Amino acid sequence: MASELVNVSDLGMKEEELFSRCDSNIDSEKITAPRYSYWHSVFRVFFKKKINIVVLAILAFIIIFSYIYPIFSGYDAYANLLDPTAKHLSPAKAIEKWGFSLHTILGAGGSGQSTFDAIWHGAEISLSLAFVCALINMTIGVTIGALWGFSKKVDAVMMVVYNIIGNIPYILLISVLVMLFTASFWSMVFAMTITGWIGIAYFIRTQVVIIRDREYNLASKCLGTSTVRIAMKNILPFMTSVIVTIAATEIPSYISYEVFLSYLGMGLSEMSLGKLIEAAQSAMVTPGWEIEFWSPVLLASIITIILYVVGQNLGDASDPRTHR
Amino acid sequence: MTKYLLKRLLTGVLSACAATIIVMIMIFSLLDRNLIFAKDSVYSHQTNNAREAYKYRKWREYGYLDYVTYADYVNSLEKNGEVDAETAKTAVKLGRTAEKDSEETQTYIKKFTEYYEGKGYKVVRLDAVLKPSGRGLAEGGSPQLFAHRDIPLISRVLKYFGSIFTVDNIHKASGVADADRGLTFTLYDPVYNPVGSEKKVFSPAIMGNGTTHKYLLYFNDKFPYVHQNLLTISLGTSFAVNQGIDVFTTMTKSQGSFVKKTMTFPTGFVEESADDLHTATYVAGSKDSSPVTAARFTDDYTNVQTVNRTYSKVGFSFILGILSSFLAYLIGIPAGISMARKKDKLGDKIGTIYIVFSLAVPSLAYIFMVKALGRLIGMPTTFDLDKGTWLMYVLPIISLALPSIGNLMKWLRRYMIDQMNSDYVKFARSGGLSESEIFSKHIFKNAAIPIIHGIPSTVLFALVGAIITERVYVVPGAGNLLTTAINMYDNNVIVGLTLFYALLSVVAIILGDLLMTLVDPRISFVQKAR
Repeated sequence: MASELVNVSDLGMKEEELFSRCDSNIDSEKITAPRYSYWHSVFRVFFKKKINIVVLAILAFIIIFSYIYPIFSGYDAYANLLDPTAKHLSPAKAIEKWGFSLHTILGAGGSGQSTFDAIWHGAEISLSLAFVCALINMTIGVTIGALWGFSKKVDAVMMVVYNIIGNIPYILLISVLVMLFTASFWSMVFAMTITGWIGIAYFIRTQVVIIRDREYNLASKCLGTSTVRIAMKNILPFMTSVIVTIAATEIPSYISYEVFLSYLGMGLSEMSLGKLIEAAQSAMVTPGWEIEFWSPVLLASIITIILYVVGQNLGDASDPRTHR
Repeated sequence: MTKYLLKRLLTGVLSACAATIIVMIMIFSLLDRNLIFAKDSVYSHQTNNAREAYKYRKWREYGYLDYVTYADYVNSLEKNGEVDAETAKTAVKLGRTAEKDSEETQTYIKKFTEYYEGKGYKVVRLDAVLKPSGRGLAEGGSPQLFAHRDIPLISRVLKYFGSIFTVDNIHKASGVADADRGLTFTLYDPVYNPVGSEKKVFSPAIMGNGTTHKYLLYFNDKFPYVHQNLLTISLGTSFAVNQGIDVFTTMTKSQGSFVKKTMTFPTGFVEESADDLHTATYVAGSKDSSPVTAARFTDDYTNVQTVNRTYSKVGFSFILGILSSFLAYLIGIPAGISMARKKDKLGDKIGTIYIVFSLAVPSLAYIFMVKALGRLIGMPTTFDLDKGTWLMYVLPIISLALPSIGNLMKWLRRYMIDQMNSDYVKFARSGGLSESEIFSKHIFKNAAIPIIHGIPSTVLFALVGAIITERVYVVPGAGNLLTTAINMYDNNVIVGLTLFYALLSVVAIILGDLLMTLVDPRISFVQKAR
């Protein structure tokens, strides 16, 4: 190797024709670009729309209320079970009976329980289920999806797994698992996450494949950027918006799915929103009792819509292309 | 292309089979077998050894295990002529305990044990349960001796996949004399030309004797007019949902009240009946088993299906599914296009609100909302098989179409807006094309490709049915079959439905790809792009 080196002085050139050392910290080397912080821009874009502030405030209220209110409400589904005059009361009658309070504004249900307390208690369970399932599924799904997209070997194996698992009816899987482990909260979480991640992983995989081979990534690779740095700096910002958008559709979908399963009689044993809807089904067709049915339906709808809107708008805001 | 398609189809079918095997493992190995007795009143009425024997009998029926009683074994020996009737009679008698068996019994029990233990069975002997007083047997307390073995997965899988397609042949039916077996071709179908009729009706048919079905090929007045029974598909026999009937038949058989018409049976007996003689199958010794069949039939092909007034389960689901998807395309596509054209205007915002509503709200909630609104304006809210009118289809169709419209609008808007910024659109605009021309001839054509990809699966999955909609409106469709089967632990139905759904999704995806290549010549699966 040493033999290939040429002494500069042997070339017989003048001093100024040769390269010279320069100071490493001269200002002219810096390109002036506006200061850019990713998350700062995300929130700037997000809060630029006034509607987002309103929706976020409602979401915060719902979450705080459904976790804090049940602590103080002292909700007991069977407290008035033996009182025959307390059953299926309309709001007006309930207020007449117990006086005006938060507990009575939606009347009373089939076993004399306060409908208002019941739906917030149910919301707490449904929200917890949705958040826990989304957290687990998103973590597993994004990790495996990224690997799946980057490695061709993993891709070959995972496509087969995806085709097989995708063909097993989801309801069957959930009902078998619920029968195996009783219908508790954690067995429900297990049932919903054991294969739930694969759809997310497939989606992430497709996104990774699309972005992975873009020209700027190839250029980056040619310039010698390490794979980890490409993944962290070039691909992750793109994926963030995708991940947030998936989360926005996933979280409400677990609430909907729990409602669906409860309606089929395969849901939780706790009185979640889905269970409340299922239990109040007959009240829907009985004149004067409708509010027992529509209250949990409406709360579930409001929660899912708000979660969906916040997530979608946050997903839009976290797309770097909107940060101009 | 054909080679590629065949390869796709093969891998698809294999993955469908793999899914079915996983489901088999799940329901036969993971689930607690005792669950099937939870709602069984016969089980709860039995006690002691009789209950134990009943349990194993039921498990054999549900396909969990092989189970042979000692009495069956002795009977089969007698049938084979290895034992004479006298010995069998004494050998079959079990003592209260093993020590109290007679010598004869002991030798045969030894044979029984050796034979079945050699085949991997477990032999169980339950001693007699006596009354507390010690005199006489307690109820259901007679001694039991039987052998049982869990069916190994491999033989279960092979047996299942081996029995999906059955080709009828003249050696199927037992009890027909070998000389009589054979196929006959007739130009005058006996169903239309009963004995004693004057007029000859021309209708060719192939009939068999010794086959399972009497009519192997025949014509009738129902679409597709020519029918065959030569190749039958069986996906698994039901135990609880529709006892003794195959899943495939359960899904495709007509429902509702009988359609009766005057008909002449093979013996010449005339009656108002809904029987469809073309569906006759062989049941050994059935003709003489009752005077009813003896008066009507001339042979043992007496098991006939009936003609019913309304569609099958799949038929109802398909009608609802197809009409609602049609409605969804009819509304969703123009709505999506106009949303993309008037991006960020009022129409787009209203459309977005609708999309959010239909995607985020639990489907149960808006199905009930539709039902409540429908009741307000006096629409029928439940299905009636016999007195129903076309009005009863309206609410289920609307309920099914609502989310599909939202979904279509969302994706079509997305695809069209993506296309609006491409170079070819700018070029078309600079070339002087009008906006509506650009939208209908250029953007829509490109944006519709992914939508077209979804059409075959929309059509095929209409066969599966919708679980909640069918439940809420009491539609006798196929959507609830799986959930009913799960609730009743009807394992064969679950397995059969899984295979059916899996194959459907495999075919739907391949058809979608195929349709896409037909619509867009740039897409090709054979040579790789780039």
